[in-house]
Amino acid sequence: MARSRRSRRTLTVIVLVVVSLSLISLDQNGRTHSLTSGIKSVANDVYAPLRQGVLDIISPIGNFFAGAFNYGSVQAQNERLQRTIGQLRAAQLEQGFEKDQLREITALQNLPFLQSLPTVTAETVDENSSNFTATITLDKGRADGVDVGYPVVGAGGLVGQVIQSFHHTSVVRLITDGQSKVGVMFGNNQSTGIVDGQGPSYSMTADLVAPRTPVHKGQTMFTSSLDAAAFPPGIPVATVRTFSTAPGASQETIRVDPAANLGELAYVDIVQWVPST
Amino acid sequence: MTGRSVLRVALVIFLVLMVQQTVMVALRIGGAHPDLLWLLPITAALLDGPETGAIVGFWSGLAFDLVLPTPFGLSALVGCVVGYSTGALTTAADPRATWLKPVAAAAGSVGADMLFAVLGAILGQGEMVQVNFLSLILVVGVSSVVLVLPVNRLMRWALAGEGNRRSLVPAQADSRIW
Repeated sequence: MARSRRSRRTLTVIVLVVVSLSLISLDQNGRTHSLTSGIKSVANDVYAPLRQGVLDIISPIGNFFAGAFNYGSVQAQNERLQRTIGQLRAAQLEQGFEKDQLREITALQNLPFLQSLPTVTAETVDENSSNFTATITLDKGRADGVDVGYPVVGAGGLVGQVIQSFHHTSVVRLITDGQSKVGVMFGNNQSTGIVDGQGPSYSMTADLVAPRTPVHKGQTMFTSSLDAAAFPPGIPVATVRTFSTAPGASQETIRVDPAANLGELAYVDIVQWVPST
Repeated sequence: MTGRSVLRVALVIFLVLMVQQTVMVALRIGGAHPDLLWLLPITAALLDGPETGAIVGFWSGLAFDLVLPTPFGLSALVGCVVGYSTGALTTAADPRATWLKPVAAAAGSVGADMLFAVLGAILGQGEMVQVNFLSLILVVGVSSVVLVLPVNRLMRWALAGEGNRRSLVPAQADSRIW
């Protein structure tokens, strides 16, 4: 009897582990990924309004305990101000990139300039839902014209890229995430490199920058205008924090900070732009 | 599990999912937030043994997989393993011991997060091991010790009538654990 129960228990666990591994395999396989993605999409369409309902209920309680009686309106005003500051900072940095000159060049090359591209403004409804990824969830999805791969800007620069798009919500991978890689250009020589996210707890690096490339602290790096780039050109990505070149190294060691203030992402703009193939 | 227990467990999973995604994600310290997910299989295993722990871990993990950006099925796999391991490792422990739930919660949750990160890295998401593990261990460990009691109460309600091993303990004696 005890042996029968034990073997049934073992069989149950084996079946569950096999099913889990099969689901992971389906998700990782390029051909069947759409299946798991579809399941997630349906689940998120059901889940998002429920979650928002719960947030609507508990938010006032949280605001009450947070302090002031009119905390909610102050917070909303603060979020609007943060958004405005972010837009101003982005505009200011873009001017430093010789905006007019770039506009002329990109027009000649038939490349889009960010300001001429359509955008969808979205509100951040969730940040870092997992301890292991740097992502945000937005309140706009496929129904609002948001698709996978669209760049997301705000708070002074590039925020990330849409990696999942559901009916009314979407998930954005932040540029600090370990899987994020952004091609950049910087300086008068239009030097190129790749800004690599190193995970939410570590600072980003700029890789593939040739040794002795002129660079200075605080220098802003912009999305590159190379063909088939994943982002439109001219968006501020990062600013240089430290740089050095070790003897014999094949590239400079550059640590960078995000140009966008990723701690102030109440509102962002999703750029409806797809890379040229 | 009976049909009624299945419904109750599903309700508890949904409730914990909502609390996790609305309240817990906002309680971020040093880049990490509490992780309620793993407490479901741990408490189920403590209450009803490894098989129930594995089943609850699988379904709760699957529910979380639907809303997390990590690989689909990963939470289900880890939840299943954690539920089974917790049940198997605590079979011989005295269920009235006051240390059992906090220790199982802290060790199980931290172990689950480690396993989750390593398996994620093996699946090609190397950034999952590029987190601040010290703050993750502290936040998840401490919060699990604090939150295991309410989650255990919910799970006990969900599994009521299952004839589980912990229900063999007289209610009065078991209440001392609280």
